[in-house]
Amino acid sequence: MSQTGPSLKRYAITRLALVVPMVFILLTLVFLLMRVAPGNPVSASLGGHAPPAVIKAISHQLGYDKPIYEQYGHYLGQIVRGNFGTTISDRRSVGSIILVNGAATLELTFFAMIIAIVVGMLVGLVSGRFRDSPIDAGGRLFGIVVYATPVFFLGLLAQLVFGIWLGWLPTSDQASPVTQALMQTHTNIYFVDAIIDGNWTALKDVVEHLVLPATTLGIVYGGVFIRLIRVNVIRTLKEDYIEAARARGINERAVVYHHAFRNALVPVITVVGLQLALLLGGAILTETTFNWPGLGHELYVYLQNRDYAAVQGIVVVFALVVVAASIVIDFANAFIDPRVRY
Amino acid sequence: MHVRPRLRHLAVLGLAGLVLAAVGVTAAQSKPFTSGHSTASTILDGTTDTVTNVDPAGNYDYGSGTVDILIYQHLLDLNAGSTVPAPSLATGCTHNATVTVWTCALKQGVKFSNGDPFTSDDVKWSFDRVNKIHDPSGIWGLISNLKSVTTNGPYSVSFHLGTAQSTWPYILATGAGEIVDHKVYPADKILANTDVTNLVGTGPYTLSKFTPGQSAVFTPNPNYNGANGKVANGGLIITYYSKSSTMKLALQKGEIDMAFRDFTPTEYTALGKASGIKVYKGKGVGIRYLVLNVKRAPTNNLAVRKAIAYLMPRQDIASRVYHGQVVPLYSMPPAGLPGHLNAFGEVYGMAPSVAKAKAVLAAAHVKTPVPLTLWWTPSHYGDASADEFSEMQRAFNASKLFKVTLKSAEWATYSKTLGTQYGAFQLGWFPDYPDAEDYITPFYGTKSNFTSNGYSNAKMDAVIKKEEAAKTPAARIAAIKQAQMIAAQDAPIIPYWQNTMLVVGRSNIQNLPKTIDLDYLMRFWLLSKS
Repeated sequence: MSQTGPSLKRYAITRLALVVPMVFILLTLVFLLMRVAPGNPVSASLGGHAPPAVIKAISHQLGYDKPIYEQYGHYLGQIVRGNFGTTISDRRSVGSIILVNGAATLELTFFAMIIAIVVGMLVGLVSGRFRDSPIDAGGRLFGIVVYATPVFFLGLLAQLVFGIWLGWLPTSDQASPVTQALMQTHTNIYFVDAIIDGNWTALKDVVEHLVLPATTLGIVYGGVFIRLIRVNVIRTLKEDYIEAARARGINERAVVYHHAFRNALVPVITVVGLQLALLLGGAILTETTFNWPGLGHELYVYLQNRDYAAVQGIVVVFALVVVAASIVIDFANAFIDPRVRY
Repeated sequence: MHVRPRLRHLAVLGLAGLVLAAVGVTAAQSKPFTSGHSTASTILDGTTDTVTNVDPAGNYDYGSGTVDILIYQHLLDLNAGSTVPAPSLATGCTHNATVTVWTCALKQGVKFSNGDPFTSDDVKWSFDRVNKIHDPSGIWGLISNLKSVTTNGPYSVSFHLGTAQSTWPYILATGAGEIVDHKVYPADKILANTDVTNLVGTGPYTLSKFTPGQSAVFTPNPNYNGANGKVANGGLIITYYSKSSTMKLALQKGEIDMAFRDFTPTEYTALGKASGIKVYKGKGVGIRYLVLNVKRAPTNNLAVRKAIAYLMPRQDIASRVYHGQVVPLYSMPPAGLPGHLNAFGEVYGMAPSVAKAKAVLAAAHVKTPVPLTLWWTPSHYGDASADEFSEMQRAFNASKLFKVTLKSAEWATYSKTLGTQYGAFQLGWFPDYPDAEDYITPFYGTKSNFTSNGYSNAKMDAVIKKEEAAKTPAARIAAIKQAQMIAAQDAPIIPYWQNTMLVVGRSNIQNLPKTIDLDYLMRFWLLSKS
C-alpha cells in the first residue's frame, strides 16, 4: 500500500485537473450548438402571434442580437460566478431547476441502478453458473432483448399492462396529485421526504409511482450487467483458486457464491460508472414517458422552447455528473483492489 | 485481497452519499394544501399546457392564463355563456365622446385573499406595472394604446388611451387587466411562481402550492366576492403533462378526474368510447389558416390565391383528419362571434370547386399545374398537422391545377421565418379576447400584420380604423363585416377550420357544459365532484 499511495495521489490530481479543460470545452460546445440551431427563445414563444418589431425589440432587450462572442463572454462570466442564469420561458433560476428536478432524477436513477444491478447480478450469476443450459440460454436471451428494447417502448408497455390492464400501479408522475399537494417538500426526493415526515401513506404512494419508471429504466440497463456478470462468473469459475477450493471439498454452492461471484463483481464497479451516462440518457426518455419531473423531462420541454439558459445548465450538469462518477469509480476501483496501479 | 470489507465500506459510502445529496438539496417553497383538508371534493385536472408565469405582468400564454383566472379578477369579466365583458370588480365602464377615455366605477367592500381591501390604487398599480415591467412575454402589447391611468377617489379609475378604442372593455378582461394587490406586488418586477404567499388576488381560489412543470394546488378563496359564480368544489389540483398519451392513461386509470387540453384527434375519439369517461364538446375560437405571401411567386398572383381558395378541402380536413373535432371555417372571425360572416363561402362557395379554380387561372393566363410549396410545422400545432397538409396536398394535386410540395420546419425556426421566406404557410390563432376585431387587425392592417406576408390594402386599413373608433356596436359590426369581405376578395389568408372546446371528464365531475362556450375559459370553480 505504501507504493500505491503516492501514485494514486498523483493520478487523482491529474484526473481532477483534466476536469477543468473538459468542462470548458463542454460549455463552449453546448453554447455554440444552441446558437447554431435556428430560432431563439423569443421567436419560439412569441412567433406566430406577435409582430416582428415586437420580437426584435424583446430579442434586443434580452441581448440575443449581440455578437455571439459577447454573449459567450457574458455566459462564461456567469458560470464562473456560479450563476447558471434564469430561464427565458418561465423565469426560473436554472440553479433551482438543477436542485429541484435534479432530485427527482437522482431518485429515479438511484433506484433504477439498484434494479439494474440486482437483475443483472441474479440473471448473470445463474446464467454463468449454469452455462450452456436452457437456463443460460433464457438468461442471455432476456439480457439481449431488454438491452435492445427502447426504454420508451418498454415504458409504454409497462404502463399499458400494469397500469391499465391489470390496474396495479400508477402510470405517471412522482406521486399522486393529492400526495403532492399534501406533502411537505424538504429534499424534493419524495422517497426521502416521506420518510423524514414519517408519512407512510405518502411513502406507499411514492413507492408505487416509482416502481414502473425505475423498473423500466433498471431492466433495460440490467441487460448490460447480465452479460458482464455472466462472462465474469464463467471466467472466475475457471480460475485456479476455484479449482483449489473444489479440490479441498468445499461445497459447490459455496464455491460459486462465496468465491467466484464476489470476485466476478469487481469489474462491474467500473461498468456501473460508465453506465451512469447511458442511464442519464435513458432517464430523459423514461421521464418523458412517465411524466417524471426530472432533469431529462425538463430538458425535453426547454429544448422545444429553445431556452438557452435551461438547456445549457442541464446539459452541463449531466456532463459533470458523468465526469464526477467516472472519477469516483476510478478511485473506488483503487480502493477495492490495491493491485490497481496508475 | 480484502474485497469483502472494502465492498461493504463502499456500499455504506454510497448510501451515505445519497442521504447527503438528499439533505443538500434545497427545499422548494411550499405550503401544505391545508392540514386536515378534505380532498374528496377536490377536482384533479390534467393538462398539457404549460405555465410560464403566474404573475399577470409576466405571461401571455393560455396555460398561465388558465391559472390566473382562478386567482385574479378583472374590472370586467367574461362570464359563462356570454362573450360580452360584464361587471366584475367594476360596476360598469363608460367612454367619452371620442372613445379615448374609459372610466370605470369600482365595487366597494371587495378584499384580496390576504385581507387587503381592493381600491382604485390597485387598478392603477396593476396596469402601470404591466407597462413598467415590459416583460419579454409581450403581455404589455395588449395595453400599448394605454397612455395613463388616473384614479378619481378610491372607487373610480380612468384609462386614457392614445387612440380611440371601442374594444377597450375586452382588453380589460384580458390577462393584462388582472388586478393585483399594490401592497404586495412589486412595481418593477414579477413575483416568482413559487412565491405562493404573495401571489394573491380576489378570484375564486388562492394558490396554495406551485411546483413548476408538475402541479398547481388551489384552495377556495374565503374572501371571494362571487362575481363570477360560486365555488362549487373543495379545491383544485392541476397536474402538468408533457405528453398527451401519458395524460390519457392517467385519466383512464382515474389518477385525474378530468383533462382540459389537449389530446390528439385519435385520443379524443378513443376517450369518447371509454367507459366512465365523457368528451364534452362546444364551439371554440381557435382557428387554423393558410397564409399566402402576396409578394412572392406564385401567390403574388391574385388568381393563384383565388384558385387556392376555391380548392381548399375544409370539410375533408375536418372529418378525415380531425374526426369532426373541428369545423370548416369561411372567414377569420370564427362562427358564433358577433360580426362573423361566411365571407369565403359567399365569394368562393361552401364546397371546393375545381371548375371555378380552373376558370380563374385560365382567365389570368396562369400556366398549370402551378408549382406550390406549402410550409407547415410539426412541433406547434399538434401531430395532426402532417395529415392536415397531406390532405391539402392531395386535394390540390387532384385538381391537376397545382403541383404541391410539402415542406416542414421545427417551430423555433418556422416561427422566426414565416413570410420572410415562405410563400404559403400554416398558422393558427387563439384570440386575446373573443371579439372579431382580434381576428382582423393583427392580420390585415398594414402596420399590425404580424405574418410578414406583405399584404397591404388602404381600403382595409381605413375600415379597420373605422371599426376601432366606432361608437356603437352596430357601426363596429358593419365595419367588421366589410373587412371580412375585402379579406375574402384579396385572399392573402385562407381560413379553413375553427376548433371546438373539448373537455374530457370522468363521470364524477359535474357541470362541465356550464363552462364550455366561445370565451374558451375553463372556469373550474363552477365544477363539482361527487
